Amino acid sequence: MAGLLEISHLCKSFDTIKVIDDFSLEVTEGTLCCLVGPNGAGKTTTMDLITGRIKPTSGKIIFAGEDITGADEHAIARAGIGRKFQVPAVLRDLTVRENLSVAYSRQTNPFWNLCRFKVPGLEQKIDEIATLADLTHRLGEKAGILSHGETQWLEISMVLMQEPRLMLMDEPIAGMTEGEIEKTARIFKDLRKSTTLIVVEHDMGFVREIADVVTVMHMGTLLAQGSLHEIEADPRVRSVYLGEQEAA
Amino acid sequence: MNTKTSAKGVGTDSETTMGNPYHNKTAQWIAYALFFLALAAIPFSVDDDFLLNQLATYGVYGMLALSISLCWGFGGILNLGQGIAFGLGAYGMAMTMQMQTQTAENPIPPIMLNNGLDYLPFLWWPFQNTVSGLIFAVGIPTLFCAVFGRIMFKARVSGAFFAIMTLAMLSAFYTIILDQQAYTGGVNGITPPSPLQLGSFQIDPYSPAAYWTVFFALLIATVIAKLITQSSFGLVTQAIRDDAERVRFLGYSVSSYETTIYTISGLIAAVAGCLWVMVVQYVSPAQLDVGLSISMVIWAAIGGRMSLLWAIIGAFLIQGGQSYLGDAFLSTWLLILGGFFIVVVRFLPNGLASLVEAGLGMLASKPKETSFREPSGVKPVPSE
Repeated sequence: MAGLLEISHLCKSFDTIKVIDDFSLEVTEGTLCCLVGPNGAGKTTTMDLITGRIKPTSGKIIFAGEDITGADEHAIARAGIGRKFQVPAVLRDLTVRENLSVAYSRQTNPFWNLCRFKVPGLEQKIDEIATLADLTHRLGEKAGILSHGETQWLEISMVLMQEPRLMLMDEPIAGMTEGEIEKTARIFKDLRKSTTLIVVEHDMGFVREIADVVTVMHMGTLLAQGSLHEIEADPRVRSVYLGEQEAA
Repeated sequence: MNTKTSAKGVGTDSETTMGNPYHNKTAQWIAYALFFLALAAIPFSVDDDFLLNQLATYGVYGMLALSISLCWGFGGILNLGQGIAFGLGAYGMAMTMQMQTQTAENPIPPIMLNNGLDYLPFLWWPFQNTVSGLIFAVGIPTLFCAVFGRIMFKARVSGAFFAIMTLAMLSAFYTIILDQQAYTGGVNGITPPSPLQLGSFQIDPYSPAAYWTVFFALLIATVIAKLITQSSFGLVTQAIRDDAERVRFLGYSVSSYETTIYTISGLIAAVAGCLWVMVVQYVSPAQLDVGLSISMVIWAAIGGRMSLLWAIIGAFLIQGGQSYLGDAFLSTWLLILGGFFIVVVRFLPNGLASLVEAGLGMLASKPKETSFREPSGVKPVPSE
């Protein structure tokens, strides 16, 4: 099966520092890929490069057969890549319902939207997603007053509202309770049936629970890729990522 | 469900949907309707032509505050150069009205003759015909906003930087107009000798006709602006105001939205400029003065930039206060205004509108409490 997302020889330098150094990755459609690695390995930078927030110095990013290298953020989002940020980014002055409505971005043309007051299918979709995320009772509230866990859920819901072909989730369970983490794992496993996910996560228990493929990054390069079992057995990974355990 | 029919029962019903009536769309439209009904009643109760003319100019200020509220309050784009669209619209209208009074024997306006120009400059050609003059008067400032906005927003100039750019642009226009005396009349501006002629109908500035023209323009602009804020477009612009960076990742081209709302706002200001000249029958570089453009922002800030209606009321209050209290206090008035502005910004960041919002919120939450205390809810809630 061809990769939905193909990253080849990606490089990104800030001044003289190489943050991403000849990084290549292929993500197969319908899988859940976990991106792990120590702090500063370049995981979030990779997400920034995929979504167009920063432009690569060299290399290529192909999404669904289309070259999206260096394209604008909105064009990449329209191509079908949704993203949840590391620090939950929701629209704090708008209500939860409004956040979800904005995220339902099937029509993005400003002139069309000037004369649209009712979006077909929106209410149904909001109901469905809010039920899934357990936010139904919060729909009328300002997003700024939600708890940290709820904010995480709202942003995940916004990505779901976008109905992207590829979802990038940057530390989705940070600040969640045990119960919430279990639920997130369940939902992610469910999502995998219809979409493709790349999840950046530190919590190895969570990674074990959800990952089809684990990709380990170190110093901006791909260190290892495979099932969690293979990764854990890899001596290079053990030395850089689980180094402390070996020392102990 | 109980079957309370008292007014408070209605209050609790809306509680389930939206809570505070200030945020209820139907209630908002009713408030707008009442406001415009009150404005429509004015010509029937005011007999003083001078006062009616002054009220018409307030209507123009209201339109400017409306345009700022749309751009700044809803779009999050602080524009300190709204005088560009207003001024260009005003000059276009003044040129049109000036050319209406030129005849075949006397085709060159005195501005040019007095400045040694014995032909009609190219710049004035479109204004020889009333219809094309009006189209250009509104079209040129709108086009300027579209182009300037496109360049700025595409380069992701935002916030204070955009405000400074608009301010610089405004000063540039002010200087050019002041400098090009033969084309613009310089510091004296243009004073068309007779009122606007539309077909066989003349709109005398000191007649109810002028007031009604401004009234309907303000009404239409407000309804359109209100519809814009309630459309999908309006929701996206509010999202951009909140976090432009995030909205990009949802697939919206932020710069297109910003350019569109900035241009619509400029269009409203350009129409206001045309109406201004219709009502006062002159234009000068003072319409592009930095002070006036900042005043527009102050009107919207004091009334409440997040509310179109309150921005308009803000303009009425400040300009009304300036006309009447300003005469009584003379230069002290500016100190009073400044102090008032500081108090509003410090304690009411959303302007006077937030007082109303808080008041209605309290009224709306009261019956909710009483109905909780009386779960049976059969008898009407006792008044307190």
